[in-house]
Amino acid sequence: MNKRMKPTGMQKALIRRETISAYLFLLPALIFFVGFVIVPMVMCLVTSFFNYSMTEFAFVGFSNYVEMFQDEIFIKALQNTILIVVVAVPVVTVFSLWVSSVIYKMNGAVCSFFRCIFYLPVVTGTVAVTVVWKWMFNKYTGLFNYVLGETGIIDSDISWLGDERTAIWCIILILLTTSVGQPVVLYVSALGNVDESLIEAAQVDGATSRQVFWKIKWPQIMPTTLYILVITTINSFQCYALIQLLTSGGPNHSTETIMYYIYYQAFKLYRYGYGNAMGVILAIIIAVFSAVQFKVAGRNND
Amino acid sequence: MKNWKKWMSLLLCAGMMTGLSACSGGGESADGGNDGGSSAGTQITLWTYPIGSWGDSATVDGIVAAFNEQYPDISVSVEYLDYTSGDDQVTAAIEAGTAPDIIMEGPERLVTTWGAAGKMADLSDLWDDEALSDISAVSEAVVNACKSSDGAYYEYPLCMNAHCMAINYEVFEEADALQYIDEETRTWTTEDFGNALQALKDAGVETTGIVYCGGQGGDQGTRALAKNLYSAEFTNAEHTEWTMNSEAGIKGLQQLVDWDQAGLLSHDAGLQAADELQLFANGTVAMSFAWNASNESNYAEQIDFTAYAMTFPSDDGVPELDGGIYGFGIFDNGDEAKIDAAKQFIEFVCDDETQGPQSVIASGFFPVRSSFGNVYEGTDQEERMTVFNSMMPYLGDYYNVTPGWADQRTAWWNMLQNIFNGNDVTESVNAYVETSTAATQAASGN
Amino acid sequence: MRKIKVTPYKILAGVILAVLAVFFLFPLYWILTGSVKTAAVINDAVPQWFPMSPTMDNYERLFDNPALLWLFNSVAMAVLSMILTCVTAAMAGYALAKKRFIGRTILFSIFICAMALPKQVILIPLLREMSFLHLHDTMWAVILPTVGWPFGVFLMKQFSENIPGELLEAARIDGAGEARTFTEIALPIIKPGIGALAIFTFINCWNDYFLQLIMLNSRTKLTISLGIAKLQAEMSTDFGLIMAGAALAAVPIITIFLLFQKYFTRGITMGAVKG
Repeated sequence: MNKRMKPTGMQKALIRRETISAYLFLLPALIFFVGFVIVPMVMCLVTSFFNYSMTEFAFVGFSNYVEMFQDEIFIKALQNTILIVVVAVPVVTVFSLWVSSVIYKMNGAVCSFFRCIFYLPVVTGTVAVTVVWKWMFNKYTGLFNYVLGETGIIDSDISWLGDERTAIWCIILILLTTSVGQPVVLYVSALGNVDESLIEAAQVDGATSRQVFWKIKWPQIMPTTLYILVITTINSFQCYALIQLLTSGGPNHSTETIMYYIYYQAFKLYRYGYGNAMGVILAIIIAVFSAVQFKVAGRNND
Repeated sequence: MKNWKKWMSLLLCAGMMTGLSACSGGGESADGGNDGGSSAGTQITLWTYPIGSWGDSATVDGIVAAFNEQYPDISVSVEYLDYTSGDDQVTAAIEAGTAPDIIMEGPERLVTTWGAAGKMADLSDLWDDEALSDISAVSEAVVNACKSSDGAYYEYPLCMNAHCMAINYEVFEEADALQYIDEETRTWTTEDFGNALQALKDAGVETTGIVYCGGQGGDQGTRALAKNLYSAEFTNAEHTEWTMNSEAGIKGLQQLVDWDQAGLLSHDAGLQAADELQLFANGTVAMSFAWNASNESNYAEQIDFTAYAMTFPSDDGVPELDGGIYGFGIFDNGDEAKIDAAKQFIEFVCDDETQGPQSVIASGFFPVRSSFGNVYEGTDQEERMTVFNSMMPYLGDYYNVTPGWADQRTAWWNMLQNIFNGNDVTESVNAYVETSTAATQAASGN
Repeated sequence: MRKIKVTPYKILAGVILAVLAVFFLFPLYWILTGSVKTAAVINDAVPQWFPMSPTMDNYERLFDNPALLWLFNSVAMAVLSMILTCVTAAMAGYALAKKRFIGRTILFSIFICAMALPKQVILIPLLREMSFLHLHDTMWAVILPTVGWPFGVFLMKQFSENIPGELLEAARIDGAGEARTFTEIALPIIKPGIGALAIFTFINCWNDYFLQLIMLNSRTKLTISLGIAKLQAEMSTDFGLIMAGAALAAVPIITIFLLFQKYFTRGITMGAVKG
């Protein structure tokens, strides 16, 4: 539709008309976006240069940023956050792709059934899911220790959420169960929409199912994959409710994430400026991760 | 045809405006109701933390009704906070300018946190000579705790208690460990405590007690346990320095680690006081470090053994218990009429001859006023409360008002996790003191 | 239906799926059964796989709280966010995908960047804003930022890429105005996308525990998520009561999802991602 020509007078008028109508379409979204995202975001960026608390508001330049990188707990939180992302994103993507590729060819009811199953933890609600996992992980009355103890896999009860070695993996496990629902739904649709005629043509040419997958299906579901990567990355980086409801960042800061630490600084210690500065850094990190994914996946896309 | 888009956008804008105005209108109409009341009286809000039955709407509604009999012009609406998210809600409300008029908690929040941030109204006029002398007669520490360093009173106290511990009497009996406790005074020495742990272990008790350190919930129990073992001080007398890195403090913490490693005591970085209490109530563990009068009545239904309240073990046999001083503060929202109404409410709840003792009973703790005497006399709780009352003389210094308190709490449970993980006790405690001191300096620097 | 060959891989895959299904279903089963167990059973170290002596006690205690009102608040909040988001995002996404206008690239980049910013960070400024607008402690304080979140716009832009340009061109040649082109040509094509966005928004709003926590105080304005979280007290953890709350929160939304899932999930495919 957009024929690239040197804009003539007519063309200019057309562009102007397009611009006006486009902005009219954008207007409602922009009102909300500017009002309740951009304005607070700018306030957040500005206040990250202030010593901003319940009682104070003084310009301190970059000192919040400097302090951050000398703050051992922040560094630890950064490491944990990256661990969660690096584990959760590939696992969620591969897992949901595998599940979807198995179930999408099944008959309608079975496919729906599985799709619902994987979506259940999402619709059950984060808080409800978290509290039931908390109970199952309980050292004394939880299910895990009972089952593993009865089957002889462990000798003594484990404090799953209270042990530095296991706590973060428990968090990641719960995060995974609540993260795969949406990707499974999307992949099932995407795979279902892959052009059948291409597949049949390839099969006639004697392509193996592996070749069919990588040469035909994979490129066509790439946009979905990219979307899933970006969304899962953002969600994993922002992992917060699980931490707050389960471990408060412990034991020994082993489940401290940046998001939780921001919350702790802002809402427990009233250090809004410092919390905002960490938020800015986190946003930059997420943006970089997303940009890399766009670059890598987008290249294959073209 | 082009008009379509104009119509559409107009419609949308109009829709949004109505939406917005409807909602703000909705808000106003609620407020309007209140304002309508203000011509006749005043509308005030009260937020309570779950202090005994003060977290329970049936009880509080009754108290408000009693108040309204005397002050029909003041209407009080109540919201109930919990300890998990309550602080965040108060923070949010302060920043949003919707803080309540009255809030019920203790000095570490009212005085040290919100008071120091300049958000609270001075309650000096409630602290008249009569109140001052009546409360001082019970404990000078209460008066000092409610007063900020600049001399203003940000809390008007209602009740107090001493946090203690409890043992499973039958389990102790069976393990022949009762010989190590003094049933007369409910005290024991550190040596007795160690022997009792050994006796329980020998009798096959799997988990004797758990030093919980999964968060800050109920951390007064672990603090009291660690500091009493060798009579350490938690802070200096001026409440300016953290002192658990003293010889006695380190010795006490080291003792806990030693017991843990010897299998006589457990630690759990996944539990907080609520979890530990539940395990105690189930009979899974033989003692709880998070006991008090209010917990006893809350868990009474679930417990089918004798939960025997004890003080914390101490090398000299004289424990220093951690206390709670609960009362009311007023957020200064800039409306004198509301502040006055709030003061009337507080005065009624705390000082009224008939309501005062009732308010104390609702908390399940003890009055801060000596003139109230034994508020449980003649009630079905008298016997039970006598036990806890007998521990009140052991109430130690109220160090919770030390600036930087919130940072210290986090540092404390993290330090416990550290030392139970096998890190050097001295080093970990020093790091904890360093973190807490930095916070104290930052907080008092203002 | 094509005949599907049974291979060892397929059998293995079936077994793994079945195990996973149990694993994913179990928490829900545990919530539902836990909600009718007595405290003694719940706190027993030996779990009772099936509630042998079910009790309604937990629910009775749950309804001492205004739990139904909380549920209603959650639903109202999520539905309003959903509607507003779908309307605004569908229009904006369409414009971003199909219009060539001045500032398009930069605008889209801003939308994308904003998605990366953690919501918690803007909470304090948002609080100030809501206080200024006198909306704190109303459900609008939760709805407005949810609608403003650029995720929906991004999603709808991706869907709108699938609208064939020729169709729009044809409509224009036929003399259809902008609005009619949008409602009659674009909307039917992106409808499945709107369905997907609707359910995502609903669920995100439902689950946005922290925003709700910060924006709402009054007991009568709480949501069910906040309500459940509040049921955990400092000095006791009453799993039976909490499970009853969790069940109350989960069951209606699961029912809605099961009833409507085929509309929500039919034919969703992402358009190619282009800057």
